Amino acid sequence: MREPNAIDFWRGLALVTIFINHIPGNTFERYTYSQYGISDAAELFVFLAGWSIGIATRGRDGRPEPRLKTVLRLLSRTIEVYRAQLTIMTLALAIIAGTALVLDNPLLLEWHNAGGFFADPIQTVVGFVLLTHQLGFFNILPLYVVLIGIAPVFVLLARVSRVAALALSFGLYATSLVFEWNLPSWPGEGDWFFDPLCWQLLLVLGFVGEDLNRRSPWLRSWAQRLVPLGIAIVATGVILAVYDIRPDPVLAPEPRLFFTFDKTYLTPARLIHFVGVLLAFQTLYGVLAPRLGPVTGYLASLGRNSLAVFSIGSLLSLAGQLIRFRAGGGVLVDVSVVGSGLIALGFTAWFVEWRSRKPRPSSPQA
Amino acid sequence: MALPQAAAFLAASLTLAASGALALAEPLVASSAPSGLSGPPTVVSPPKTVSSGSEALDVSLSPECRVPGSQLYSLARLGAVKLALKEKRAVRVLTIGGSSAGLGAATTYPVKLETALERSLPDVDVVVESRGMQGEIASGAAERLRNMVAEVEPDLVIWQVGTHDALARVDVEVFATALAETVQWIKSHEIDVVLVNPVYTASLAADEYYNSLVRTVQDVASREGVPLVQRYEAMRYLSGLGQKGEGHLLGSQFRLNELGMRCMAEHVTRAITLSLLQTDPGAPAPAMAPPRDAAVKAASPPPSIFVRPGD
Repeated sequence: MREPNAIDFWRGLALVTIFINHIPGNTFERYTYSQYGISDAAELFVFLAGWSIGIATRGRDGRPEPRLKTVLRLLSRTIEVYRAQLTIMTLALAIIAGTALVLDNPLLLEWHNAGGFFADPIQTVVGFVLLTHQLGFFNILPLYVVLIGIAPVFVLLARVSRVAALALSFGLYATSLVFEWNLPSWPGEGDWFFDPLCWQLLLVLGFVGEDLNRRSPWLRSWAQRLVPLGIAIVATGVILAVYDIRPDPVLAPEPRLFFTFDKTYLTPARLIHFVGVLLAFQTLYGVLAPRLGPVTGYLASLGRNSLAVFSIGSLLSLAGQLIRFRAGGGVLVDVSVVGSGLIALGFTAWFVEWRSRKPRPSSPQA
Repeated sequence: MALPQAAAFLAASLTLAASGALALAEPLVASSAPSGLSGPPTVVSPPKTVSSGSEALDVSLSPECRVPGSQLYSLARLGAVKLALKEKRAVRVLTIGGSSAGLGAATTYPVKLETALERSLPDVDVVVESRGMQGEIASGAAERLRNMVAEVEPDLVIWQVGTHDALARVDVEVFATALAETVQWIKSHEIDVVLVNPVYTASLAADEYYNSLVRTVQDVASREGVPLVQRYEAMRYLSGLGQKGEGHLLGSQFRLNELGMRCMAEHVTRAITLSLLQTDPGAPAPAMAPPRDAAVKAASPPPSIFVRPGD
């Protein structure tokens, strides 16, 4: 297993934040950084995914691996994520239905878009495998499937010209904002909760950022000089979030999405805030890592196994919501729900690594 | 990494943790065949046609959905819809929240609603857009609603509200404030709102928190002067009618829920058509500005048109 590093550490923190934020109403929610800014852990997660692609598609010497290998690697990852999404959605629906039956409480069937599935399974099961029917809080992996699916285009293009890859990505982002392009939900109306056509920009920024960060001392020194700017942006974000200041989307001039705070479309305000977060906290890992002791190792282990941890975390959040609902909330319930969840996330990471260390029998004897 | 196995392993134990000693096989079978299959003997034995007990049933509703008017809605003026009718343009409706689907392709709630509204408002084109909603109004959902309204630019928002906040046990005060703010915001843009409160189900009938949340929706509706469809009261009324329990794995509460969903389009339509007949006598309509009623009366539909869905 690789040693703790900044990427795994921050990704681990994003996973913990997402886990806690996906149990709405719980006491610890207000202590996550998502409450104090315009952007949240989702941005960090997608950006770091792009950064990781940059690392994964190069050898240790920084030379890019063969193109076909990159394409196959990303394809295989896409399938892995897709499979994970189907698995956790199935389990989530069963957990919701099972709990509704046991508690004799059909209200639970209306849980964040699940109602569509239970009311109209014939159409919805098709939407389910097409990823166009998404449960609330289970909509990040569909975004991932699309992003990693289209990543080869950007990765290979960036090998020819980073500028071209960035231009393509920015162009798609800006056009989607102007024309409000998004992938449709089906059955039912509306669009995806995370618009892949906009969010791809963060993945590409992460990927290109990793490349530049490695080879350009000029960029590194500028990034360090911009720390004060980052801090100013973060401070502004805190003020806007705490005082609930945001533009009225109905009054926003056209093209509307350039001016609103909209998570679906990763609108510019969120993007700028996220870049501010990056600038402000870029060197923080070096300061924190030695001082946090085992916490560093814990978060990094989550980050190393992000797909498994995210998947289990999603199900644990759902279970946490149902337990809170049943038990009526309260600090004691929240401490036990969140506490046991964090232990379970750590166990998941450990378990996945234990399994990969364990030699498997060469011939299956079943 | 072999994720599905790990996920299956942990989640299996998790299902058990979440729902006690749950026999896994049965509910899975049951959940794949929900009550939406409109079997003829399913629901409620047809109630007496006209009056039951003290108060007259609203006979304009289809038999299985009949509820006394006082238990179904509270009415208020709908200025923006009236204006659309007066200008003889299509009425744009945005329905938000809850399960937007109904019983298969042709009869989803938005489709039923659009049909029912067009039946009761002859010669008016009604365009219903529906959006599912995740999250709590007390946190991010209010913001998402604003973005949806900006995108769809409706004349009327029909908002099933409260379920997610109830599931998250959001503090009732916080919920009330967030709901009132959002309703005021919608009204400030000359858009009408109809609120629909959460469902009634027996296992929550004695839940103090849940009841206070339902009451809060009612309070906000009356304080802000917007119509309310009392899904909770209507379903409680319907639950009191005799039901033929035939020992289905899904208890009577699930069949009641199904009925509630089926009747919702009618109930919402009824509340809207009756609200359109409201002139504004005592009801203070602060944000809604000029008196349009003199002209509207000519254009507004006569009271005799009733919803009569034959399906």
